[in-house]
Amino acid sequence: MNSRPGQASYRDRTQEFLKAVENLKTPFSLVADASSSSTGSILEGPKSTASNQSEFNRKASKIGLGIHQTSQKLAKLAKLAKRTSVFDDPAVEIQELTSVIKQDITALNSAVVDLQLVCNSQNESGTMSKDTTSHSTTVVDNLKNRLMSATKEFKEVLTMRTENFKVHENRRQLFSSSAARDVANPFLRQRPLSSRGISDSNAPSAPWENGSTHSSSLFPRRMMNGEPSSSIQPLIQQQQQQQTAPVQDHYIQSRAEALQNVESTIHELSNIFTQLATMVSQQGELAIRIDENVDDTLVNVEGAQGALLKYLTGAEYVYLMTWSNYLLNMRIQYRDMNCLSKLLPLFTTTPLFCWVSKASPPT
Amino acid sequence: MALNLRQKQTNHIIRMLNLNQPPNPGGGISSGAGATDEVYKILIMDAFCRAVLSPLIRVNDLRKHGVTLYFGIDKERQKVPDVPAIYFVRATPDNVERIAADAGRGLYDSFHLNFSSSLPRPLLEDLARRTLEKDAVHRISKVYDQYLEFVSLENGFFSLAQPKTYVQINDPSAGEREIEDILEKIVSGLFCVLATLGVVPVIRCARGGPAEMVASALDARLRDHLITRNNLFAEGAGLTSSFQRPILCLFDRNFELSVGIQHDWNYRPLVHDVLGIKLNRVTMPAEKSAVKSYELDDSDPFWVANSWSPFQKVAEEIEIQLSKYKQDADDVNRRTAGKDGVEFEGTYHIGDTKHLANAINSLPELTERKMIIDKHTNIATVLLGEIKERSLDAYCTLETDMLTKGSVDRSALLSLLRGKGTKADKVRLAIAYLLSLETTPQAEVESIETALRESEVDTRAFHYVKKIKSLNAQLTASASSSSRSNIVDWAEKLYGQSISAVTAGMKNLLSGGRELALTRTVEDLMEGKPNPDVDSYLIFDPRAPKTGSGVQLKGPFKEAIVFMIGGGNYVEYRSLMELAQRSQPVKHVIYGTTELLNGTEFVEQLTELGQKMGLGNSGVTPPQ
Repeated sequence: MNSRPGQASYRDRTQEFLKAVENLKTPFSLVADASSSSTGSILEGPKSTASNQSEFNRKASKIGLGIHQTSQKLAKLAKLAKRTSVFDDPAVEIQELTSVIKQDITALNSAVVDLQLVCNSQNESGTMSKDTTSHSTTVVDNLKNRLMSATKEFKEVLTMRTENFKVHENRRQLFSSSAARDVANPFLRQRPLSSRGISDSNAPSAPWENGSTHSSSLFPRRMMNGEPSSSIQPLIQQQQQQQTAPVQDHYIQSRAEALQNVESTIHELSNIFTQLATMVSQQGELAIRIDENVDDTLVNVEGAQGALLKYLTGAEYVYLMTWSNYLLNMRIQYRDMNCLSKLLPLFTTTPLFCWVSKASPPT
Repeated sequence: MALNLRQKQTNHIIRMLNLNQPPNPGGGISSGAGATDEVYKILIMDAFCRAVLSPLIRVNDLRKHGVTLYFGIDKERQKVPDVPAIYFVRATPDNVERIAADAGRGLYDSFHLNFSSSLPRPLLEDLARRTLEKDAVHRISKVYDQYLEFVSLENGFFSLAQPKTYVQINDPSAGEREIEDILEKIVSGLFCVLATLGVVPVIRCARGGPAEMVASALDARLRDHLITRNNLFAEGAGLTSSFQRPILCLFDRNFELSVGIQHDWNYRPLVHDVLGIKLNRVTMPAEKSAVKSYELDDSDPFWVANSWSPFQKVAEEIEIQLSKYKQDADDVNRRTAGKDGVEFEGTYHIGDTKHLANAINSLPELTERKMIIDKHTNIATVLLGEIKERSLDAYCTLETDMLTKGSVDRSALLSLLRGKGTKADKVRLAIAYLLSLETTPQAEVESIETALRESEVDTRAFHYVKKIKSLNAQLTASASSSSRSNIVDWAEKLYGQSISAVTAGMKNLLSGGRELALTRTVEDLMEGKPNPDVDSYLIFDPRAPKTGSGVQLKGPFKEAIVFMIGGGNYVEYRSLMELAQRSQPVKHVIYGTTELLNGTEFVEQLTELGQKMGLGNSGVTPPQ
């Protein structure tokens, strides 16, 4: 009942105020005209600083608008990602949108860095008042935080997408793995097969590979790579005499699974890392009241940061160890992985961003 | 339509922070201010408005709405060009002067002035004149009356933050003019509350005393306002059914004095009494001579769940929460411990990372739980220390016995008066004794006074209450015999409602709790049935035509706003909340007061009144 547009609980007195000014003006008009020219020039004096500031404001509002638009695109992407079904996979659109968003985020990132530099140079030039410098710094921090949350959202959408994809893959395998074996078995038993032959014949015949651009088309490529295929070949040749087809089928499926697992794990680990960084960076913004003494809270925040860091370095260490192990053991050309690997540096730099901007982490 | 005052006030403040623009309808994701072009603003407040904002908005909320910096209006501020500034201040001449000075210096690009209540015409002209002199009119872009001059502590609890109202109203040396001013302030505050809620209630109050004066003034103000075009309560004209409108019950502190001074054993009133809660924040001395302050409001789940439980139960709850927390923390540690240098082993690792991810996810929650448990453990420890030192439990039991059952354990009373407890505690106990019995034998009173004097307690408050009580006795005595004009005279001397209402009520009780006279009266008023206790209450309906031919809306009412003039506390709040919950169907009650006082503070005000009346002694023989 109270949300009707006409009703408000405040009164606009601006017109009344302006009328009062008008009423008062008439006796003063001559005096005002004489003095306005002088006071006008005083007000115009520090024009350069004003123009610097307005440039800063323009840039800041452009970045803000960019972040807002990117968030809207992210919402669209999230909807698309949720929508994927087994056969109607809008993979192309998703891919396009993902790359567009990636570009946006990278551009925004550099714009924010730019803005930070402008802000720093302005602050150091000494022409601005203390209040202006804190205002500018707060604006830059605010934009950084918003970009950070947009990046996080992006990562979550990607994670959800790959999870969905995994689910669909499993479903496909459930429905079609038996069919593949039946189709492949009589075909394969009749002659000894080389690994390449198997892969070629497997590729078109397995129905779960149609339409999906991610795992299937990459298998032949992968098989042709140096290390993994060399490990596969002797294995396959060993089992050639026996029922190789189901084993190979199995093997391919398990490799696919493993790939997906790895990918999701990397997702999760980057999640963890970003969360760590966000938690650290967000300590500064938690629940400060307007009437609190800021100095006290700063002390407490730094103390809390230290405690949190000490608590978390154990988990962080684990992450670093496992990540280095991944890099050593896996060399996989995987399209999404490529995309991911291009993004991961972004994810790792943004947390560093936050570390640098806050008080240095206590040792 | 549930009356949720705090939410409404927060919404209005957020609207103000968005420069009073309508929110962007094609909002999309709310990752920004919702408007297509983001404006960063600066907020300037004065001390009162800072108190209004503190319980409602945190700094990160401010940031979310595009406010980068916030200052007090009295602080030395510097230029921040090209940025709009939002001023949220009271409509006082000092503030107007300061604003004009800022505008003259061109500190900010544009000024959006929001006054917390209506800006009177003279001040508006003053502002116009000053800004014209400084040739800064072009900087003032907007002037608004926000009607937000009250502090919402909780969803159904507000305070007008007007200190020492009780003293000022009951001051024997106060002149007509001063009392009118005070009441005008109260009316203005209440008007803001009603404007924010957007309701025009039916006003009921007892005869005589400040309540009646406030009620008639408020009624007049609402009537004047409703006549104007474009008023703030633009509800449909046909809404006269009592079902839709709330009732506003006005009470004066003298109606039930005992609640103001007694010791209570539940957690929240205890914290308020011993440590003092200001704007939902409690400050305690901690080690290293630093002062620790904690938030105590709806964001704290332990507080929400346990603040009305008795103290022992709270202590147990803390124990339970602590052990639960320890269990969960050990759980997390086990899952993440011993994983250094783990190798990649295919699917195994997925489980590990999932564990790790879960553990990391639960970390913020765990740290927050730990923080809350620590906070309450600290509070409870300090409380326990105080309780032991002042033997507050003894005071509590004694007072409850006296006030509810009317039985006085004289020996216990006297021993406690000579024993432990701060001086304020003893005075409170003595006053509770006075209030619990209708007639107090002179000998007893003298023995109590001797005991108080021996403990070097300031007895002025005690004497003041004695004086009031005797005057009220005279009032009730004379009521039966003398004419009505005499009573009106007495009433205008502002000694308020008869205290006997309290003691009479105390005798017939519901078991398992003490029902306050206030709650009973509110319940009767809300039901609207003919009832001898409340039938004499006056009724004001701003919407009804002046020539009282309209139907008098006597109820039943679904919603009520209860206002206590002179100082309220958490005990009354809780009592009203319980009333609301246990009624069938569930009703809504909002409780407000001029200021939130605990027992000690109220006794200070009584002492001041005693001093003004030249009663009692503070250790020095007073001039007789």
